[in-house]
Amino acid sequence: MTVPNVPRAGVSRRGLLRGLTAAAGLGAAGVLSGCSTEVASGLTRSREVAGSLDYWNLFGGGDGVRMQQMIETYRQQNPQVKLGAVTLAWGNPYYTKVSLATVGDKPPDVAISHLTRMKNLVEADLLEELDPAVLARHGLAPERFTQRTWEAGLVDGRIYCIPLDTHPFVMFYNTDVCKKAGLLDGDGTLTPLDSPEKFTDAMRRAKEVTGTYGGVVATISETSTPWRIFQSLYSQLGGQVIADQGKEVVIDDGKATEVLTFLSSLTSSGVMPATVDYQGAIAMFAEGQAGFYFQGEWEISTFQTAKMPFSMTLFPHLYREGPYACQADSHTFVLPRHPDNSPERLDRSLGFVASMLDQSKTWSEGGHVPSWRPFLESNEYRQMRPQSNYAAAAEAAVYDAEGWYSGSGSNFEIVTGSAIGAVMAGQLTPAAALGQMRTNLGDLARTPSPI
Amino acid sequence: MSTETVTPRTRPAESPPTGPAPRPHGHGRQATGFLAPFAFLYLAFIIGPAVYGLIMSFFNASLVRPGLGGFAGFGNYAEALQDADFWSSLWHTVWFTILTTPPLIALAFVFALLADRVGRGRWFFRLAFFAPYILPSAVIALIWIFMYTPELGLLEVGLAKIGIAAPAWLGDPTWAMPSLAITTIWWTIGFNFILYLAGLQDIPRELYEAAAIDGAGPWQQIRRITIPMLGRTTTLVAVLQVIASLKVFDQMYLMTSGGPNFATRSILQYVYDQGFTNFRIGYAAALSMLFFLVVLVVSAGWFALVRRQEKEV
Amino acid sequence: MANPTIAAPSAYQKDTGGAGVTLEKVERRQKLFNRICFGVLIAFALLWLVPLAWAVDTALKPNAETTKTTWLIENPTLDAFQRVLQDTAILNWFGASFIISTMTAVGTVITASLAAFALSRMRFRYRTLVFWLVLAGIMIPGQVLIVPQFREMDALGLLNTYWAVSLPQIPTAIAVFIFKQFFDGLPRDLEEAARLDGAGWFRIYRRVVMPLARPAVAAVAIFTFVASWNELLWPLLVLTNPDLMTVPVGLATVQGAFGIRYADTMASAVLGAIPLVAVFLLFQRNIVEGIAGTGLKG
Repeated sequence: MTVPNVPRAGVSRRGLLRGLTAAAGLGAAGVLSGCSTEVASGLTRSREVAGSLDYWNLFGGGDGVRMQQMIETYRQQNPQVKLGAVTLAWGNPYYTKVSLATVGDKPPDVAISHLTRMKNLVEADLLEELDPAVLARHGLAPERFTQRTWEAGLVDGRIYCIPLDTHPFVMFYNTDVCKKAGLLDGDGTLTPLDSPEKFTDAMRRAKEVTGTYGGVVATISETSTPWRIFQSLYSQLGGQVIADQGKEVVIDDGKATEVLTFLSSLTSSGVMPATVDYQGAIAMFAEGQAGFYFQGEWEISTFQTAKMPFSMTLFPHLYREGPYACQADSHTFVLPRHPDNSPERLDRSLGFVASMLDQSKTWSEGGHVPSWRPFLESNEYRQMRPQSNYAAAAEAAVYDAEGWYSGSGSNFEIVTGSAIGAVMAGQLTPAAALGQMRTNLGDLARTPSPI
Repeated sequence: MSTETVTPRTRPAESPPTGPAPRPHGHGRQATGFLAPFAFLYLAFIIGPAVYGLIMSFFNASLVRPGLGGFAGFGNYAEALQDADFWSSLWHTVWFTILTTPPLIALAFVFALLADRVGRGRWFFRLAFFAPYILPSAVIALIWIFMYTPELGLLEVGLAKIGIAAPAWLGDPTWAMPSLAITTIWWTIGFNFILYLAGLQDIPRELYEAAAIDGAGPWQQIRRITIPMLGRTTTLVAVLQVIASLKVFDQMYLMTSGGPNFATRSILQYVYDQGFTNFRIGYAAALSMLFFLVVLVVSAGWFALVRRQEKEV
Repeated sequence: MANPTIAAPSAYQKDTGGAGVTLEKVERRQKLFNRICFGVLIAFALLWLVPLAWAVDTALKPNAETTKTTWLIENPTLDAFQRVLQDTAILNWFGASFIISTMTAVGTVITASLAAFALSRMRFRYRTLVFWLVLAGIMIPGQVLIVPQFREMDALGLLNTYWAVSLPQIPTAIAVFIFKQFFDGLPRDLEEAARLDGAGWFRIYRRVVMPLARPAVAAVAIFTFVASWNELLWPLLVLTNPDLMTVPVGLATVQGAFGIRYADTMASAVLGAIPLVAVFLLFQRNIVEGIAGTGLKG
């Protein structure tokens, strides 16, 4: 905005005073009602308040609600700790913020990180290494976590994160619609869709019931979702996209084309909408305009709140040549490198993490598969429906391959997801999309890691 | 107005000799005092970083590593000039400029013309057109993202009511930039509107009356009198508009993240992506320098244009 | 408009076919044209108001109603505003924005007016050099400097403070030029009188020139305040502590957190807009005259 030239008439003193008082009133309202010490701390390079804990996460929507509940429980149980919890926008912006804050020596004490992104944070020297003895003191020994997730989070055998869950890509289905479409068996569970043809047929039958669409998955203004559905099918065929720490692009054209063609046939035949964004897909399924919805399990809360008849199960195993696979990632707790290395702060941080894990039940109600074995292996979890329906996905989870530009919400997912989404939206042919992916991933692969 | 925060070093007044006031000269020391606060901040936070940025562009600096990293010579610049993403983001910026500048000039002119002719109720038109201009981009983005939402956004539903099938707006690679352009036009037209309105009020009424007596109709009056007399204003508006469009960042960052498929990534957003998402700040610095060159060329063009106009006058 | 009774015979009268009939026809045509202009303008103005009106309309709905795209509000409620005020730190953001913008406005007015005074009134050897250096500053787009400035703030340990946001915004070359142009246009008599009374430069600046410069001060202060308030990129990078975020940064950061709770999203937008609408309504005249003055500069 440009600052312009001089005005011709002046401000009367009264007008200026009036204006200043009004502006001051607004500001005062903000400053006074909004915890003035916090706001005023912007003027001083204030050191941390003793006994405080800062926790950053990227949980919005249904997850956000759950996390708030768990945070409240922690607050009630630990009134002596001043907990500051903040939710930041999901994806690249979150990791940029965490990185910048750590570089600027004012990081949060505890932060959530996707497992796939945590490795890059470690390489950038932004995380504290965790001592097994200290962890054991807080009850966070490796045996208490699912082996797969624990080991996936190790870097050269060293511990940098504490897993909270695995969140796989799953299938939601409207039980009413599926019943009317004749897709439920005697028990009321969905008959297995174990081939592309059966899948398409199921969609078609659901569409006849709803009158609009059979299934819905986000395709535009969204890149992670198209990537997830592609990756789930592609890895069932055994395909890989990048290798060698992201330095090589190893897309199998045949398998990729098969998956892309299948996905595009779903939208072009009209059983699934071609252009729908993340929230739009949720709205459509919630309002019964689609019988099936495909996304990570975390949206369970949204549909429970909408009070619609639904259930969830594993994303179908369509390509039976290989073992079951589905795209997934894990949320973990990490401790960013902090200028204050006191054991009290470390204890507070780990105590908080332990409390969160103790509340795995609440977190699982949000749809996630807990990594905390004391709860995972309990009867309580086994009886949780529909959450326990897809617990097996945690073992079959395919994480995004390692690379400095890879991970949940990363450039890797943006590049691939854009191309895949465009195929589903009818904007690109599979061949063109593959070409685009190869080119863009190739550029990223050739760039030396800046970390 | 408080001047307590800054007390420049003052010297006792030079008592003037008797007679006419002498021509002041040689006030170096006092001048330094007055210039010091500005100069200090200017050098520390504008010139200094500019020089540091230039230096950094010759190194492979990383955001998460201290210091400058390995020396790269002109490597970053060479990479940038061969970088397809760099050129496409430059093109996206130019395309954005093309989409926004003509409407922002022409529409503002038309609105100002109408408002000038109508005369009364000017406060209402000022409010309607200018209120968006002072709002922050974050507010604008929230409102327009909602309006562009597929299926339930106001624009889609509104167009459907009159029988037009709306595109996917922000989700369609062809329509994303025009969508951002529409938002931008709505957001910033107020400034040009006010400028033109003031310019119009400066044109003496007698000119119009004389022309009317000579038989000129309204269109002719506009063509022969209004437009030429607003030539200076139009040049100013055009240049400010072009330079502002080149610097566009907020709308892309907030509304499309440069998508879909990077179709709306502007040059500054590319700089941000490289520097802060990919951590490659040496490369980002080189990109910034190239961008600065583009702005320089445009500004130089403006200077030349203004010089020529002033010579004509 | 033309007065046909005193006009000489001309092409105009030939057009309308003789005297006597012309006056009424002309006036009627004028009135019709004016009415059309008014109608077109009102239509556009109302169109321009739609987005803001829509935001307010949606904010007054319960979240469930927002998926029905209609102006009608079945159950109007202020709940969305309440939720935003409770669940987000928006009041903190107001405070932060207010402090930063005020700091920047005050700092800019002071440093720019002092520098402009020197450039306008004083003679010194390196005057031309300073002038061109300042001019060069107008050319450098701020966004080009974000990377080195970030590094600098990090080195100074000022990250996550208001100083980091405000300091780089204070040295504004354009503000210097605005003040200089204004000072150049002031008559010198009062200053000469003051100097004869033995006043030094600073006294002249403070007691003579600045009181006369209120219009310039108002314009620079208001525009700097608004521009600083609306800054997004730089505060976004520098303020990672959510308690210290400015309004635009706060809104941008929690953007997706509302999900399909569109009423809450619009409520946060409306709340974010209110302070600036207030500024606009209070200082309309100054803002408009400030912009209008630019036209003179050409």
